Amino acid sequence: MEVDSDSDISLDLDHQSSKAKGKAKAKAAADKKKADKGKAKAKEQPYVWEASFARSWDTVQEDEAGSLQASVEDLMARGRRRRLLAPASAIRRTIIRHLILVLDLSASMMDRDMRPTRFDLMLQYAREFISEWFDQNPLGQIGIVGMRAGLGERVGAMSGNPQEVLKSISDRVKLEPVGEPSLQNAIEMARNNMSHLPTHSSREILILFGSLTTCDPGNIHDTLDTCVQNKIRISIVALAAEMKICRELCDKTAGQFGVAMNEGHFKDLLFELVPPPAQRAAARSARPSGTNAGLNPAPANPAADLMMMGFPTRLPDASIPSLCVCHSELKSQGFLCPRCLSKVCDVPTDCDVCGLMIVSSPHLARSYHHLFPVKTFTAIMKDLDVAPDAADACHGCTRIFPERATNAKEGMSPFRRYRCPDCENDFCSECDVFIHDVIHCCPGCGK
Amino acid sequence: MDNSSHLSVVLDLSPAQWYQSPLSLDSFLAQLLVFLNAHIALKHDNSLAVFGALPDKSVMLYASSEPPMDTPATSDPNCYPPFKRLDSAVTARISEQLEDPLLDVTTPSAIVGALTKALCYINRLSVATGLVDPRILILSVSPDLSNAYIPIMNSIFSAQKLKVTIDAGQIYGPDTVFLQQAAHLTGGSYLHLTETSALLQYLIMTFLPPPSIRKVIAVPTQDKIDFRAACFCHKNIVDIGFVCSVCLSIFCQPTPVCSTCRTKFPIKTLQRLNASRPLTISSANNSARPTPVSTPRSAATAARHPPMSAESIQNGSGTSAVANGSGH
Amino acid sequence: MPSVQLNSHSENAEKKHIEHALLPFLQSQSQNTLTRLYQRPSSCLSLFRLLEPVERQIIMSLLWLESAIPQSTMNTWVNREGRKLYDEAIATLGRLNILPTNLTNKLALNTTFKMSFRQALTGGGTSGSFGVPAENDDKSPAQDLESLDSFALERWETILHYMVSSGTEQQPTKPSQGVLYLLQRSGLMSTFQGVLRITSAGFQFLLHSPHDQLWDLLLQYLHLAEERQMDLVEVLGFIFMLSTMELGKEYSTENLSGTQKAMLEDLRDYGLIWQRKPTSRRFSPTRLATTLTSASPPLPTSSGNSSGPQEGFIILETNYRVYAYTDNPLQTAVLNLFVSLKYRFPNLVVGSITRESVRKALANGITADQIISYLMSHAHPQMRKNNPLLPVTVQDQIRLWELERNRLKSQEGYLYTAFASQADYEFVLHYAKELDVVLWENASRRCFFGTLGGHANIKGFIERRAMGSNQ
Repeated sequence: MEVDSDSDISLDLDHQSSKAKGKAKAKAAADKKKADKGKAKAKEQPYVWEASFARSWDTVQEDEAGSLQASVEDLMARGRRRRLLAPASAIRRTIIRHLILVLDLSASMMDRDMRPTRFDLMLQYAREFISEWFDQNPLGQIGIVGMRAGLGERVGAMSGNPQEVLKSISDRVKLEPVGEPSLQNAIEMARNNMSHLPTHSSREILILFGSLTTCDPGNIHDTLDTCVQNKIRISIVALAAEMKICRELCDKTAGQFGVAMNEGHFKDLLFELVPPPAQRAAARSARPSGTNAGLNPAPANPAADLMMMGFPTRLPDASIPSLCVCHSELKSQGFLCPRCLSKVCDVPTDCDVCGLMIVSSPHLARSYHHLFPVKTFTAIMKDLDVAPDAADACHGCTRIFPERATNAKEGMSPFRRYRCPDCENDFCSECDVFIHDVIHCCPGCGK
Repeated sequence: MDNSSHLSVVLDLSPAQWYQSPLSLDSFLAQLLVFLNAHIALKHDNSLAVFGALPDKSVMLYASSEPPMDTPATSDPNCYPPFKRLDSAVTARISEQLEDPLLDVTTPSAIVGALTKALCYINRLSVATGLVDPRILILSVSPDLSNAYIPIMNSIFSAQKLKVTIDAGQIYGPDTVFLQQAAHLTGGSYLHLTETSALLQYLIMTFLPPPSIRKVIAVPTQDKIDFRAACFCHKNIVDIGFVCSVCLSIFCQPTPVCSTCRTKFPIKTLQRLNASRPLTISSANNSARPTPVSTPRSAATAARHPPMSAESIQNGSGTSAVANGSGH
Repeated sequence: MPSVQLNSHSENAEKKHIEHALLPFLQSQSQNTLTRLYQRPSSCLSLFRLLEPVERQIIMSLLWLESAIPQSTMNTWVNREGRKLYDEAIATLGRLNILPTNLTNKLALNTTFKMSFRQALTGGGTSGSFGVPAENDDKSPAQDLESLDSFALERWETILHYMVSSGTEQQPTKPSQGVLYLLQRSGLMSTFQGVLRITSAGFQFLLHSPHDQLWDLLLQYLHLAEERQMDLVEVLGFIFMLSTMELGKEYSTENLSGTQKAMLEDLRDYGLIWQRKPTSRRFSPTRLATTLTSASPPLPTSSGNSSGPQEGFIILETNYRVYAYTDNPLQTAVLNLFVSLKYRFPNLVVGSITRESVRKALANGITADQIISYLMSHAHPQMRKNNPLLPVTVQDQIRLWELERNRLKSQEGYLYTAFASQADYEFVLHYAKELDVVLWENASRRCFFGTLGGHANIKGFIERRAMGSNQ
């Protein structure tokens, strides 16, 4: 672990030096990258309204033998390239997150340019987003606000329980879209919901916006300024087109802005917001660094702090029932606070007697893979790299490797071998994906 | 309810631990093979994979989907052929591995490697055939290795994602906190064997029923689960820790700078936390160490593995740091 | 026999897993027979696999215990929700004489079963119950899997095809005399004006899964064996042994008993085993035999293997159209039982479900539930994405067509009339209603109709009342 942290320093330094470069240049570069990305995407995926008729079977290509293998490999290659592009250095992430999800429930959501309707698609993706988000941010909390008929509407209160959050948007009928949306009202409501939070937690607003107008009671720029002061980060996924105010909201609060071109892109944009955001700016120092520093006088950077936490002992279901301190109910199961030995029903929570924050270590452990990612495996490209005594089967699942090279897409190994740089074991492409996306631990070296 | 099920068994084959255990490896294997046969016997389509965790490496010993290359010469009329294949493959592979002269018997065994391999294998099978509630059974004889905490937790979470139940049996030595958590978080059962004479009976009653039957038939559950974690600085297992709000690294004492993410913590917080510390320290002094479980274990590890000075030094520094802290 | 099975199947399909068809037969055997059967480890293993999961776990848990366990100890091992299942399991095992009931309220496995099953798990012993492999013979190497599969398939489909096309103009190849006799004996076919015709039980049989069909037929074979004075233990033991053998291996006939050697011929006719020639001293089990105790499909993909997976080939649309991706004449013939076929293409048969076609099937003794379950179990993988699997309209309509036939329902009972007064009538009616035996009533005519079962009570009540009023 010592070694790890050493390497982090160097990475951090790199980062800082890049920050030191002129802000304008950095911004230009970032913009260019964005534009390139947009273009590249536009080439392969047309806007929904541009496509005359969706032929889903056209997107999948069979090879001469009628097999779909090639298409599948193409998909995997794309995933692999994306992983290579992802910054490996972002070790500083906000883990205790608070998010208000703002759903557009205005009449424009009934448009059918995304099937079945924007509204149904948004609800479906929002549910998937929430499950995935809690999976990766177990200590986080989500609240839900709707924009309907010119008002902000509280749909679900801030909660750390995925079931509770999902339940609040489970009833489609209650959320039936109507009227105009109001960005200002919704953001004000979201901001008030988060005003009580401690400084070390992040505050984020994610808006799914399908309308091209907003109907506000006052000056939305004032709202924006208070958000910047409160260090609230606003991200917007627009379903229709880019609006200046939306772009400004995101840029000034260091959030992300994107316009969904089609169903798949919508999901991609949404799920990019699932992993905890890398904390770009170092502690609130005099140097307001970051790529968009000029626009952003106070970056959305929660103060770092050291928290005292207790790891409880879980009582078995069959133990003698006793009263819990939180509800005063007679229950047999529960968790014992390690400091005062009082019994609470559920974790994570604050102990009602001594105030200690009680978490179970699995809650914390769920986030560790963000901090210690598995090194990217190198694809074996040349014949020479396959040692004569190399194992003939994948080190993970014992699938047999092909004996000779096959033609492969860019970035993929013709030998279907991917080698861990630490333990030098070879893995097949499925295991490569599985290890990096799910296990986060290399079977060869156990890191 | 009556579906075929998949079982992956992870065997801890650490020679050093088996040498100390009152149960010999041979008699353990004999009983285990009967248990494995019983799993195959339950249903024609039940699949099985066996992984071995050896010092510093892990190997697949047997997989029912991949019959061993060397077919047994003649089949025995007195033995069901799949049993025969399983038994001979597992015993042959284990003795082959243990006789490897390069094996450093004192190195702790690579349970994590074997566990992740089992997960990779299940992942591959479920992509190909769609397994219904697969299970992993870990039979361990080694104590917890604190530097395996994060990889084990990562494996547990991926098992949850794959809907794999993890059962764990500690056959020798003290309870392992990590395996307890693995079983608890994936809905499996954990068994700490104190009585090795009826090993087979324990195995069959606890680990043989597939998850669907466990709704009907009670399997032992753990009476107390330890949700404590190891701190990042000294690998001590802690009751109350200090957690960096940015990266959630756990420390056993307040530090001015997070060693993982280099975040500087406010002085005020440090002072406040240090002020509140005497409480925990006094309780620590009462029991010599804050963690009753870790005490015999770390002492035992140090005694057992004299060459492993690194860990004993780490432990040592941990104690001294605590002493310093109390002196503050 | 099969028809009884069927009814219970349709009623309980959702509620619980159906116990294996062989078990009731075994339960009817004497303790002595069962104990003799349990002497062979392979029989124990195969029988074990036919049991329910809970029963299997109970056996496993008791297997390695030397002493009997008090019932109360075992009870604590069961969750409250599983109580019923557990009690049923114990009862079944008791009837199979695996867990003999004794007076001491303690549970212990049948010692013969225990010894044999332990031996099966650990290997060893000298019973040779898993089949004595034939020595390798260079002149005539073992048959490869493909030809074994096609042999089994050919034999099996010959039987079914003969059944389905009997009574039509087609003249398919006849199965052997032994098979014909078995079909006739089991009531699946019967002679009608000198020609063998399929019966309604036979139609129902055709809609079963191959696995069930196989066991149905074997069960009939066992009944036949009983009548022929064959030793049941030998017959069952041989079938069980086949199910533990390995596909593609050759076994020697030398260690078989006389009865078992005689069985070789019958089993060859059913396609369960393959022999080079009838006098050969070695035999190979086919997939039909080796999968007897498993859930994997007993037949390889159908003879025209272009038709995709065997398990699903039918697409049913809401407009009652049926598209069946098959070129298998047997499957087409079975579909023809309840679908009116319109077009045939090399790999596709198109037809539609009509009132006439369903009524024809119903007239043949096939029930609506059977048609629906056949369509469900053979639905194309594409159909499996739908929820519900089959269009509800079609399901309902098939059921309605069945109900059309059942507009009148007769029920035996008694009509009570000529009550002296309205009060009398109401008093008796009230009593009858409390007993829940009233089928029909008409207050204006002062009469009501009660079931047969309730008559004694009502009669007694009226008599008591009459006596009471007389006094």
